[in-house]
Amino acid sequence: MTELDTRPPRAVDVPALVKPDRVHGSVYTSQEIYDLEMTRIFREGWVFVAHESEVPEPGDYITRRIGGEPWIVARGRDGVVRVLANRCTHRGNRLCNADAGNSSSFRCPYHGWTFSNDGTLTGVPMRNGYGEQFDAVLNGLGLKPAAAVDSYRGFVFACLSTPPKTLLEHLGRATTAMDRLLALSPTGELDLRAGWMKHDMPCNWKMVMENNVDGYHALFTHASVYDAVKPAKVSHIPSKVEVWVRDLGDGHSEIDYSPEYTRLDEEFVWFGRIRREKLPRYVAAMEEAYGPEDTHRAFVVGPPHTLIFPNLFLAEMNIMMVEPMGPGRSIAYTTPALIPGADELNEKMLRRAEGAMGPAGFLIADDGEIGARNQLGLAGPAPEWVVLSRGTESDLNDATGIVNHDKSAETPQRGWWRHWASVLAGQASAGSDSDDKGAVHA
Amino acid sequence: MPDLASAATNAPVTGDVPASGVDPALAGFIYLEARLADEARYSEWEALWDDDALYWVPMGPGHDPRVNLSYIYDNRRRIRSRIAQLNSGNRHSQTPPSVIRRVISNLEVVARDVDTTTIASNFALFEYRFDLIVWAGRYAHRIRTRGGDLKLVSKTVHLVNAGGPVSTMSFLI
Ligand code: FES
Ligand SMILES: [Fe+2]
Repeated sequence: MTELDTRPPRAVDVPALVKPDRVHGSVYTSQEIYDLEMTRIFREGWVFVAHESEVPEPGDYITRRIGGEPWIVARGRDGVVRVLANRCTHRGNRLCNADAGNSSSFRCPYHGWTFSNDGTLTGVPMRNGYGEQFDAVLNGLGLKPAAAVDSYRGFVFACLSTPPKTLLEHLGRATTAMDRLLALSPTGELDLRAGWMKHDMPCNWKMVMENNVDGYHALFTHASVYDAVKPAKVSHIPSKVEVWVRDLGDGHSEIDYSPEYTRLDEEFVWFGRIRREKLPRYVAAMEEAYGPEDTHRAFVVGPPHTLIFPNLFLAEMNIMMVEPMGPGRSIAYTTPALIPGADELNEKMLRRAEGAMGPAGFLIADDGEIGARNQLGLAGPAPEWVVLSRGTESDLNDATGIVNHDKSAETPQRGWWRHWASVLAGQASAGSDSDDKGAVHA
Repeated sequence: MPDLASAATNAPVTGDVPASGVDPALAGFIYLEARLADEARYSEWEALWDDDALYWVPMGPGHDPRVNLSYIYDNRRRIRSRIAQLNSGNRHSQTPPSVIRRVISNLEVVARDVDTTTIASNFALFEYRFDLIVWAGRYAHRIRTRGGDLKLVSKTVHLVNAGGPVSTMSFLI
């Protein structure tokens, strides 16, 4: 073994990787940076893990990975949703091996230890073998819970170690995006049980996330849809539309179609311009819940197109979460945000999700291809930097964040990277990162 | 489509159906459909479909498309759109088209009515793009005979890895 091989890994010099208008290409390819992300972002910060509708009844559970670790999301008999390490506390066997199910307990197939779905160790076969030590040995061998679990309007987030801030502090202005989605639900709830498409993409997870709020690419990446299939809902030519991009602070960002939809004052431009007469029961339930004015407004402004750092994307009427699988591989999970009771809408939502999203979707299949080629391009080390300067001179600061009225501005990406750098450098753990609230840097 | 779904999974074949003996013309139609898909002959492939078409790739066995999301659930109109996109030359995930060959085997007639026959089969598909990717699963082809003409009414594809993760699948599977 050479001297070089035995040296400890190089410390990542985070500040040297991110400049206000550019980012170093190695952020997408380096194993050291990836490992640091898993620690700082996925183990020390808040991440989206599940939606409450996925575990509606006591005993319901699903399994998820967070930062590569296996977890169980289970609703206990007390109605509480817990996030528990999916690892037997005896010798480490993965305890629960189904994607989803209903059970009040989990029994390890290796030596038969049994855990309640609140994590308590309830049964150890042949306990005499532990002799007098039984209680001492087994004390504290319940399933390890996530350090913090909290939810916002049904979206469940976890922080695997002591959270540096509250969930609400983490979400910051992004709560407005969840509110905007839920304004389309007469009960204020969603149903995320249609199933997740799991799209395996040979590219870095951050490319998937950043691309979701890239207002520049559609004309090119998705030309085949708009030229050969159907025109976009509103033009993708920035000068022709009032579509804005926004850095919400704390790593969250969005493409905001609402100024254009409001200008048109037309309902459902975002849903194939469907006529409200086609959705009589849904419209009636909405008006009953919110009154005619707010209903009209919700139908006009439509759903959010908002990235919530680090792994959640409110993809209009779909929800996407991204799981990193290594520097060059990600899995994008997508499911439609069905609305309880709105059957007229939900079946259409399924068909729209299949049309646009996932491995065979008219849009996302090509985003995945572009991501793969981006990863191949970045295998070359030069030039060192990826340029994100578009719109720096036209960024505007207001109460909603940093806004740019040119949808093709790279304002969302700049916000992502500024926050990413502060988290990786360990600054975000020092409480609310007030210098990361989205002030335009001169 | 519950009948079709069970026909293409592991459910035992029941009812008044011959156990074997697939009409060579129907088998030939299935092989033609496969070859046109393999060779990215998109418009010729599209011409095989009847008006009440359904091209379905579910995300699990026994799924109900009214409540379960599918990878693909194309009616005739969406098949036309899919082909138009592929023909545009700008469907980046198929530009250039993946190199594909598939093998179809174990053909069995699983249902038959006045003018249609449903044939289930197994397939293995080799896609070469950045790397070689192997796809496998079970097909159900529902084929209509009208005079001497054969038309594809539905094609269901039960992937063995329907539970995912699944790579980009914008070729004709
Ligand atoms: S590893 Fe689970 S009981 Fe032994
Ligand atoms: Fe895109």
